[in-house]
Amino acid sequence: MTDSGSKSAGTVSPREVANKSDRRNLLRAIRMTLEVQSPAIRLNTQDHNLRRYGATGAIPDYDALKDRARQIKEEAIAKLPELLETLGSAVRGRGGHVYVAATPEDACRYILEVCGKHDTKLVVKGKSMTSEEIHLNRALEGAGIEVAESDLAEFILQLTDEQPSHITAPAMHYSRERITALFKRKFQTELPLDSGEELTKFARRKLREKFLRADMGITGANLIAADTGTIMLIESEGNIRMSSFLPPVHIAVAGVEKIISARRDMGVFLELVAASGTGQKLSSYTSFLSPPLEEPSFAMPGKPRKPREFHLVLIDNGRLRMREDPVLHEALYCVRCSACLNACPNFQVVGGHAFGGETYSGGIGGAWEAGTGKLANARFSELCTGCSRCVTACPVRIDIPWLNENLRERLNQADGPSAMSGLLAAISSAEKTDARISAARIFFGNYHFFAKWGARLASLSNAVVGTKLGRIAMERWFGVDRRRTLPPFPEKTLVRAARELKPIKGVQPRAKAVLFADVYTNYGLAQRGIAAIRLLRALDVDIRVSEAIPEGRAALSQGMIATAKKQGMRAAAAVEAHIGEGRDILVLEPSALAMFRRDFSHLLEDKKQFERIRARTFEPVEFVSKLLGKSRRKAKDIFDISRSPVGPQIFFHAHCQQRTIGCAAPTEALLREIGFDVVTSSVECCGMAGSFGYKKDFYDVSMAVAADIFEQVTAAEKDGGQRALIASGTSCTEQLRGGLNRVVMHPVELLLAVLKT
Amino acid sequence: MTAKQSATLAEIFVKNARGAAALVETVEASRGAVSEALQKATQGARSIVVANGEWVAPEILSAARSLPNVLANPSDEQLARADAGITEAFAGVASSGSICVALGTPLTAAASLLMPLHIVLLSAGRIVERPRDLFDEARFGGEGLRRNLVFITGPSATADMGPLVRGVHGPHRLHILLLE
Repeated sequence: MTDSGSKSAGTVSPREVANKSDRRNLLRAIRMTLEVQSPAIRLNTQDHNLRRYGATGAIPDYDALKDRARQIKEEAIAKLPELLETLGSAVRGRGGHVYVAATPEDACRYILEVCGKHDTKLVVKGKSMTSEEIHLNRALEGAGIEVAESDLAEFILQLTDEQPSHITAPAMHYSRERITALFKRKFQTELPLDSGEELTKFARRKLREKFLRADMGITGANLIAADTGTIMLIESEGNIRMSSFLPPVHIAVAGVEKIISARRDMGVFLELVAASGTGQKLSSYTSFLSPPLEEPSFAMPGKPRKPREFHLVLIDNGRLRMREDPVLHEALYCVRCSACLNACPNFQVVGGHAFGGETYSGGIGGAWEAGTGKLANARFSELCTGCSRCVTACPVRIDIPWLNENLRERLNQADGPSAMSGLLAAISSAEKTDARISAARIFFGNYHFFAKWGARLASLSNAVVGTKLGRIAMERWFGVDRRRTLPPFPEKTLVRAARELKPIKGVQPRAKAVLFADVYTNYGLAQRGIAAIRLLRALDVDIRVSEAIPEGRAALSQGMIATAKKQGMRAAAAVEAHIGEGRDILVLEPSALAMFRRDFSHLLEDKKQFERIRARTFEPVEFVSKLLGKSRRKAKDIFDISRSPVGPQIFFHAHCQQRTIGCAAPTEALLREIGFDVVTSSVECCGMAGSFGYKKDFYDVSMAVAADIFEQVTAAEKDGGQRALIASGTSCTEQLRGGLNRVVMHPVELLLAVLKT
Repeated sequence: MTAKQSATLAEIFVKNARGAAALVETVEASRGAVSEALQKATQGARSIVVANGEWVAPEILSAARSLPNVLANPSDEQLARADAGITEAFAGVASSGSICVALGTPLTAAASLLMPLHIVLLSAGRIVERPRDLFDEARFGGEGLRRNLVFITGPSATADMGPLVRGVHGPHRLHILLLE
């Protein structure tokens, strides 16, 4: 930790820094969580995440099921006003009540009215994020009503007055040891409470009495079927079943977006939510209830038995406005499974008290906080690096990075420029709308411009960047952390160096391609581009290098969407010209490749153009594999492992975005086929994530994420000795090189080395 | 469905239910065999609650009712303190090892929730492949679409107190008697 001098970050309470509209709270929250909560959060999220892979992999039609879930949610949100009517009739038809609350205050007022009618003294509650959103406990307690949170995680948070740090496991940041200490302090007990079993038993006893005495049970709802008024409730402890069954009055509180058309469609979500969230086949209990229940309510001695009453309180609180928002409406498809939290490398180290607001957390949390509150409350979404690992994890296919990039754009505009912005915007090519934002954003977002001049004046810029003063200036103006080594600008860019290479002559080419001179390769690791060209020429591919133009990744990652669109459209036109000549497009830098294969779906106006480009754009090793497959040649006919300058043992780390677009597997397969002994990293991201790890404010988060991959390298080398480090991304390479002080090769460099001549 | 297919479903069910920490026993669907299995399963239980049934043969359910220590017409207070609950299952789910309990018949909700031990009678012919199959109009006359249902997968559990703990508010033990 680098928290120098100031009082220990551990003394900051989560509630103090829950609202991050003031950016200083974000930075304080990061320090606090890294210091106090990180081990428990890391253990639990990674456990959930690993189970998710297992559980979703065991659903035979996982992809089709996701498509279906997405379709059901899209249709429901599209006809939400109509479904509200249908649902109202269904619930009233069964003798229940429905109330649509416009605001949190409105919802609390209605619930208090119901409490008043029944002279309610004790409410038992099941876990409900929506009730957190409307601050229901505060309202109930303010009216003198006792509230017993019965989910054990919420039970903990009620004791400490903390906001949830995770949407399905709200006290995930508590280790068993911290819970023991908390219970001993709060309950003044001498009981040992030194195991999960003892703690559970202790809390269960306290709560069992509450369940039996409660006048009212309040739960959330995971989904609501409009046709029958059925609510779906997922849980593992049994407390939600108790809350909905024992007391005479049951109130279910849920956002309006939880409504779907038909009960028969609920079956689609049943397995999907459990597998995506906790990585289970099903959670212990999934209830489908159309209240009020037929069973008589419970009446302990001394209490009269009352008839059952059911209220469904549906919350708008900005949701109907989100529905009209071209970007935020996507968040309404969210089923709150938490896969995007568990899969997120940054969330895995800081959790929702840093990567979250007053209620919602994680990748999807920014859209929720902005949609149900103020835009500024979504500032924690800066912790989304766009690594995209949540994209394939989301059961309803929400492009969460795209939501966060848009929130960033809106926040950029709201925050306005900083001291150097005007100058920077004027000399670079930022779009007008992207010129009035902070200098750091303009610097990182227009990296291609600064890299171009850096490379043109390579010896001068390398010298400046190498000085302490240069780094201090970069840190102050652009927020570039001075502890990071900046990759030197090459003496010759890829475009220049490629001109000096011998073209192939005399042979009929097996394929025609263009290597896209992405910014990171062209102005950074140009030797990788040269290796790719030599490799492909040796395989009889007629390959050229494109002109060096930005494809928009850097701008997009900074929320400079107008600039990203302009750059993306220009790059799309350029590569389409090559495709028109019968050439495939190869892109070395995975973050640039992912633009062509994924992000252009948002940036290009012409969706057919996107499809055309996507179909013809390849990662170079993926292309080599395809070539071998087509010519029915075996890897061992072309490559000879005995030539490997680093031996047969390697450790391969695939770039995060490369994995999301499915381009990591071909590299791994080919290397194995050649005979390499490959260990692959299992981290979601190395932590550098493009420019993220270079930023002063996020250096500690980046290094905390990186600790996992460093540990995996060490573990892989424990028995069999050193392994050559192989990584595909420019920033991953820097993270591994800097952190382990080792040489890192790109797969194409290794393939070139083992090529038979 | 052929006999072979249903045998396979039962096998998958048993494997997955055990994976979810349920105790599963295959019992011949006769009064004598079930009675014996229930006596063993309820050993030590001082008070037992038996819910009404709909699908299991009446003579099998009556085996449950004739166990010693069964509460005839339990008060709510007795329900809250009882040791074991016996219900039947509306269906079993092979892929997840879950049992699905349909609420609505007297004592089913209480007997499947409030006692530390929940014993379930599941007829092998009522096992479906996946949870979503119960949302199919063609299955069991579409009853799964009309009833209040609880899919129960293993005993109640929590990961909120550190390592996984089995036995929280709901039953600590789930004992499934698979009737063949």
